[in-house]
Amino acid sequence: MRQAPVRMLLALVTIFLLAGVHNATAKEADTIDELVAMFDDSKCAECHEEIYKEWQQSWHAKAVNSSLKGMRNFIAVGVAKEWNTKLTKDQVLKCLDCHAPAVNYASEKLAVEIGGLIVNAFENKDENAKKQLAKLNVGCLSCHNIKATAVARGLRGAPEKGVVYGPNGEDGDDFHKSIETPDLSRSVFCMQCHGVYKAPDGETIQCNTLSGSYQNSYISMGGSKTCQECHMKKGHLFPGGHDLDTVKEGLGFDVQFAQYQHLPGKIKGVKDAKKWVPSVVVTAFVENKTGHRVPDG
Amino acid sequence: MVLEVTANKISDDAETKEGKAKDDKANELFRAEKTWFEIGVDTDRDMRYGAWQIKEIIDLTLPPLQTQKEQYLINFDTDVEKVELEAKLYYYISGGKGDVVYSVKKTLEFDVD
Repeated sequence: MRQAPVRMLLALVTIFLLAGVHNATAKEADTIDELVAMFDDSKCAECHEEIYKEWQQSWHAKAVNSSLKGMRNFIAVGVAKEWNTKLTKDQVLKCLDCHAPAVNYASEKLAVEIGGLIVNAFENKDENAKKQLAKLNVGCLSCHNIKATAVARGLRGAPEKGVVYGPNGEDGDDFHKSIETPDLSRSVFCMQCHGVYKAPDGETIQCNTLSGSYQNSYISMGGSKTCQECHMKKGHLFPGGHDLDTVKEGLGFDVQFAQYQHLPGKIKGVKDAKKWVPSVVVTAFVENKTGHRVPDG
Repeated sequence: MVLEVTANKISDDAETKEGKAKDDKANELFRAEKTWFEIGVDTDRDMRYGAWQIKEIIDLTLPPLQTQKEQYLINFDTDVEKVELEAKLYYYISGGKGDVVYSVKKTLEFDVD
């Protein structure tokens, strides 16, 4: 009985902490800096310096500014003109749910502002807008938290604030709580974004078709490698079509030349119809050794 | 992705480096290209480029785990003694920038007498 007050106190503290976590998760950022602070990747570099350096050189690190043209066209042409619809957070997320998943935690006002920055950065080449947008990307916590449980939400639940999800769940120095999530090492994890994107309202956005050919051609032909096995050979640099070594590794090329003399009188238009005609058969074999169609986005 | 096959006539006066560069076009006897790509279409089957507009594709790409054979029969003129054949495989990461992934060259000599 003497332990009852202690238990009650513990229960109250737990309720208070859970409420705090819930409120913190529910809070939406009103500025880009607030949003960046919510998912501050620079903290990761303190312990995971090498991985962070690899990521900094990756296309994930510049996933917004490297795709300004396509996103500007969606906002300024698709939403504004073709659909004649007001720009909302839901519309902006049709690009940024993949290109900058943190925007899921932006306020409606901020998400629309970010949409405006994208248009401004592309149309007016506004360097300040680009500088702001450079803070948004596919960062550490985009995969290791925000998207980490999305492919098996029923089983794993929603991502918890402050938790780092990874394939082995190692905690390191207790700097953060870790949860083992093998999903991150499966192709289905990458397929969330590297394929036809289905928005919550049902709209399909087809930036590329990688996951379709992976699942419906490669796997059905007997292929069994994961995306990560090829595209994480250089760690978190994630090389792909932009990296010539990776392209070379994925393609085979064999060319054969069969020289011969064609029978006289059989080829029209030659200078001397009575002479043998110098000829060659060139045969090129182009092999796709990758797990998806080539080319693809 | 593009496969380009060319055949260029090599004559004695075109074999110096400077002369060859100048005469490259004039000496071209054969050129062929094969392009692998996909065509995005909307629900009206109109070709589209915008990711939000594309709802289906027509697939002219190279499927995974497959090898495609491209074959060219080239007949030269009866006075052609020496040719340089070249096959190049280009990969285009975006519309304008193509990288040469592989290049194979072969020089052939014919007895025309």
